[in-house]
Formats: sequence, structure tokens, C-alpha cells
Amino acid sequence: MRLKKISIALVSALSLVVGLAVMPAANAATTVKMVLWPGPEGDAMQKVVDAYNASQGKKEGVTVKMILLSRDNTFAKEATLMKAKSSEYDIYFTASYLVGQHAPYLTALKGVNESLYLKAPVNSLKVAGKQMALPLDTSLHFMYYRKDLIASLAANAAKYTTIAKTVLGKDLKPNTNPATWSWDDALATAAYFTQKYNPDSPTKYGYALPAKNLLYNTMIWNDVLWGLGGNWLKDGKPNLNSPTGKAAIDIYNTIYTKGLTSPESSQWEYPETNSALESGNAAMGIQWNAAYSELNTTGSMKDQTGIAAPPGTGQRTHVHALAVGLNKYSKNQVAAAKWMSYLATVPAMKAYAAAGGVPSMPSILTGMVAKNASFANIIEYAGKYGYSESAGPREFDIYAALAEVLSPAWSGQKTSADVAAAADAAIQKLLP
Amino acid sequence: MSTTFNKQRRTAGWILATPLLLILAGLLIWPVYLGIKTSLTHDVLSEFSTYGVGLGNFKNLIRQPNFWLSLRFTFIYALVATTLEVILGFALALLFDRVFPGKRVLFSLMLVPIMIAPSLMAVMFRLILNENIGIIPGFLQKIGLHFAIFDQHNIFTSLIILDILEFTAFTFLLSYSALQNMQEEVYEAAAIDGANKKQVLLQVTLPILRPAIAIIFLLRILDSIRTFDSVFILTGGGPGTTTQTVGIYIFKTAFIYGDFGLAASAAIVLVLILAPFMPFIIKQFNLNQNGRR
Repeated sequence: MRLKKISIALVSALSLVVGLAVMPAANAATTVKMVLWPGPEGDAMQKVVDAYNASQGKKEGVTVKMILLSRDNTFAKEATLMKAKSSEYDIYFTASYLVGQHAPYLTALKGVNESLYLKAPVNSLKVAGKQMALPLDTSLHFMYYRKDLIASLAANAAKYTTIAKTVLGKDLKPNTNPATWSWDDALATAAYFTQKYNPDSPTKYGYALPAKNLLYNTMIWNDVLWGLGGNWLKDGKPNLNSPTGKAAIDIYNTIYTKGLTSPESSQWEYPETNSALESGNAAMGIQWNAAYSELNTTGSMKDQTGIAAPPGTGQRTHVHALAVGLNKYSKNQVAAAKWMSYLATVPAMKAYAAAGGVPSMPSILTGMVAKNASFANIIEYAGKYGYSESAGPREFDIYAALAEVLSPAWSGQKTSADVAAAADAAIQKLLP
Repeated sequence: MSTTFNKQRRTAGWILATPLLLILAGLLIWPVYLGIKTSLTHDVLSEFSTYGVGLGNFKNLIRQPNFWLSLRFTFIYALVATTLEVILGFALALLFDRVFPGKRVLFSLMLVPIMIAPSLMAVMFRLILNENIGIIPGFLQKIGLHFAIFDQHNIFTSLIILDILEFTAFTFLLSYSALQNMQEEVYEAAAIDGANKKQVLLQVTLPILRPAIAIIFLLRILDSIRTFDSVFILTGGGPGTTTQTVGIYIFKTAFIYGDFGLAASAAIVLVLILAPFMPFIIKQFNLNQNGRR
């Protein structure tokens, strides 16, 4: 009898404890989990998240929790979660070049005020006309060069012409305005500042070439292709096995095989390219906008950092946006949408910019030029030259496939004739 | 009486092992089952639906030249790196198989590389070998030497050297442990017979340690075949696919090209290629434990 009473008391107590644990509090906030990657974007976003949780989030009954996956493998981890139709995270981190792949797992966003954003980034996040993600940071390329070196060309015209003739076999005169460079100008200038051809050059190499087998390096090579008037596709069909496609491959091949860049640049990506420019080993190169602040404040390019659009007759720069999208399988769609609506406001993005982010809203970038001079360049270059490929859901795969197929030619192992047809075949395989 | 006791012991053994077996089942059998299931499906990230394709992924894999190229590179890389690591590790173990001042400190220092994650080592290598800001190229230039470590013509050698720097500690440790188990009497007998150092090494030590060396070689080569992080961080498998290991091929197929089915089939083929080595390793373990040659 006594045992029975004790058992009933224990079961009752246990039920109470379990009940209290699982019963939601009357006014408990819904927790929205958002994936981002660590680094400046994650740091800046944390400030916005904190501000929201402390004010508007309380009113809306939403608490945002940001999860920073590793910078290298965020997208790989997300891919597994998406394929498993996971509801673990409510908001995924994505990007212009990935949104096609991610779109089947995202909810289309409604009511995004496009007029607040730079045109190229916001458009790059549309799939089949639907806005699939909200733009955060905008990334694009500049042709970086040392102003002092380029200015010195005018006084050495004869030497420049001789070197251009020797290396490129062309009669060229110095062009001290990189904004109007053709690729011949750029190559001749790179040759002039390569010690192999000009022992008096202050830099060992004229050019810093990111030629590693890496999809982000394909984005930079695209600037060359577009600058010559080419494109991945023509009338919906692959078009790299064409005179312009081959010419674009040949430009990288020439830079490498003529020794205008370091032989090690076949393994270079962002950090190595930056260090080549910063250390004074290279005079110029196309690099991401994120490098501007560092290059202009430290090393050999300090206060001498010049930027221009990538060379060519049809000057264009790759532009993409990092972004966030709403998980189709989220169990907190309403709460997540509330947070994303907040994130799409000017005050939220202003806080993001103040904390180190580079939002895609021109009004904010303009207002903060005094704090970060490169913001003015982003608006100008994204507006004038910004471009992104639109090759369907497997665009990301195409970038990777082209890096794999083209990198042997970029680094002189093969020629454009060897790889152009394979590049077209790789694109064709991945087209919708 | 004895039979009942044995039965009880066996039952108790099974009961005690059950939690571990369940954990093993969860950690090993379930993922393997999922891997096999995925390999038999069309499972692409950019396509929402998943459906069975039988052996379609395996047929597709066989037609992928990059898979065979990456297999070829992996086996050459693993064979060269492992052979050199086993030789160097054994040589170092012989050097340490005696008493000398500072041995303990040196011994500890020797083991540092295997305590660092390969990915971290690769990041460190990328920094210290950076031509523009790295300490080693800087030093080499100061003394008038220029060796383009990451030049495509040197990249294979560089990757092998970096692998040796990292994993020779592993072969050294196991070789040293094997040497410690050598019976002193054997050496004494060899000395009485008038054997010199070279003869002792070639005709006594090496034959006795043959099973141990075989195990070290096989353990290391199996690990080496799985190489992914260090090569991926340093070269991304390029230029082109010239340094692409099977691990990189599988990773790219799954997480860049988003083709989980094809990646899973490649992983299974790799397991099938490596599986025949396992009985040999187990045999060598048994030989070593029984002390037979």
C-alpha cells in the first residue's frame, strides 16, 4: 500500500516536471535560427541580430540565433541539410552564384523593395523571376595597380615599346590611364614591370594572377572574357570554343608562360594575390573589392592604390551578392519572415554597414563613404560595369567545372586550343 | 559445471558488449547503409526529386575520366609518400633506439606534427611557404636560393615533402615501439656470431620486424589513400586535376557539383578497392602478436 502511494507520488512529480519542461511559456519568443559564415559578415550580422533581439524582436515575439558554420564549408554543410529537407535552420546563407542550386529548398520572398538595392545584386538573386534571397554584401572586382608605377611609364616610352615588341610582338605606347586599357596595354605594362624583361623594375613581376583551380578564380577570369566581348553562352549554347573564348584563355596563358606572374601563381587565390600586391612583388592584378582597404593602408600599395574596371572594350566586372534565404522546410516561417523583413530595412542594413558589412543598398554606401572610401567605388563599378552570368540552376557547378578545365591552360600546361572544346562540353553538361 | 559457467560468461559478455555494439551499429552500419542507398539513387542538389537508378551511378562513374585520373594520382601519391615515410620513420627509430642526451625532448618534438590536424598543417604551410610573405621563401631568397615551391612542375614533390613532414612522426613512433620489443638476447647472439651493425640490421632486425613494418606500411598507405584536407587546401586538386585525390573527387562531386549519388558510388568503389587489403593487415597483426615469421 505504502509502495503504491510512493509510486503515485513519484509518477505525479515526474509528470509535473516533464510537463513544465515541455509546456511553452505563455509569451515565449519563437527562436529563428540563421546560418552565416564567420568573418566580417558574421561579425557585422551579430550586431544587427543583437539590436533586433533587444528591441523589435521582443515586440514581434522573435529571437534570432545566428549559427556560424566554417568559412570554407558552410555551403557544403548547407547542401547536406537541404538535401535532407532539414528544418534545423530557418534561414540559409546563400549567394548569387548558388541561389539556382539552393532555390528548390527556399521559399520565394515577397514584398522585397528592390528600389533600395543595387540592381545587379538584387537581380542576381532571382530564379525564374522570383526573388529567392535577400542581398547582404556585394562583391565585385577592380583592376588594382600602383599609381606611382603607372605614372612613371610616360617617361620611359621607348623602353616600354621595346619590351612590348619583345614580349607581345606588338608596337605599343604607354597608356597611363588604366581605365582605358585594352588587354594589350595591360599585358605590355605587366611585362614592363617584370624584372625578367626590365631589370630596373621595382616589382619582380608585373602581374598577380590568381590561377588556382578554384571556382572563384573563374569569376575573375570571366572579366577577361567579357572584356573581349565574349560570354559563356551565345544563343543559349556554350561559346568558349570561339575566337573570343580562346583569346581570353590565351591572355591568362600569356601572363603565365611569359613569366609576367610568379610560377607559383598556378596555386594562387585571394590571399596569395593580395600578398603579391601588398609585398611589392607584383605591380597590378584583378582582385576582389574586399582587398581595397587592406591594400591602400599597408605595404607597397599604401596610398598608391589605383583601381579601374577590368581592361577590354566591353569592360565588365563580375558582381555577386551574399544573401540569406528562407528554408522551405522551416517550422518557423512566419517568425523567420518577420526577421527577414527587418533585415530588408535601411536601419538594419545601416547597422550592418556600421559594423563592417558591405550592404547592397546604394543609399547606405553613399552615406558612409567618409568611413570607407571603397563604398563609393562599389556603387560606381557595380552600376557601370556590374554583370553576372545567368546560366541556370547549376551556375555554381559551371564555375567549378570551368576552373577545372581551364586552369591547366591558365598555367601553361595546355593551350586554349586544348581546353576550349572541353570547356564548352563541361558547360553543356550542366545547362538546364 | 564448466559448461554452465562458460555459457554465463558468454551471455554476460554479450550483455556488456551490447551498448558498444549498438553505438557501432549507429555510427558504422547506418551510414554505410545510407551510403549504399544513396549510391543507388539519382540524388542531385539542384533537383528536388530523388529516385532509384539501380547501378546507374556506378556505370556513370566508370565513364568519368576524372575519377580514374584521381585514383591514379592517389595511388602514386600514397605509394611514394608512404614508402619514404616508412623508410625515414624506421631510420629515425634506429637513431632513437639508444641513449643520448636530450633524447626525451627530441622524442617529444618528433611527435608534434601528428598532434596537429592535417587541415591546420596545410593552412600553416600555405602561410609559411607563401612566396610573398612566407618565412621559408624569405629565408631561401636571403641566402640566394629560389625554389618555387608551388610551381606546377614542383607541386608533386612539394606535396610529398609536406606529407613526409607531417606523417613520418607516425611511422617513426610505431617503428620505435616495434624496436623496443626486440629481445636483447637476439642482438647478443648476433654479436657472439660476429655480425657487424649492417648485418644485424639486414639479417636480424629487419626480418624480425617484417610483420610490424608491413602493418605500419599498410596502415599508413590506407590513411594516405584517404588524403583530402591538406592537398585540397594547398592545391584544390589542380592545376586541372593533376593533384586531385579520390577524396577531393568525392568531395567536389558531392558538395560542389551537388551529385550525392555519384559521390556515394565513388566512395563505395574506393572501399571495394581497399577492402582486399584488410585480411592481409589482420593476418600481419596475428603474425606479429604470435611472434611468428
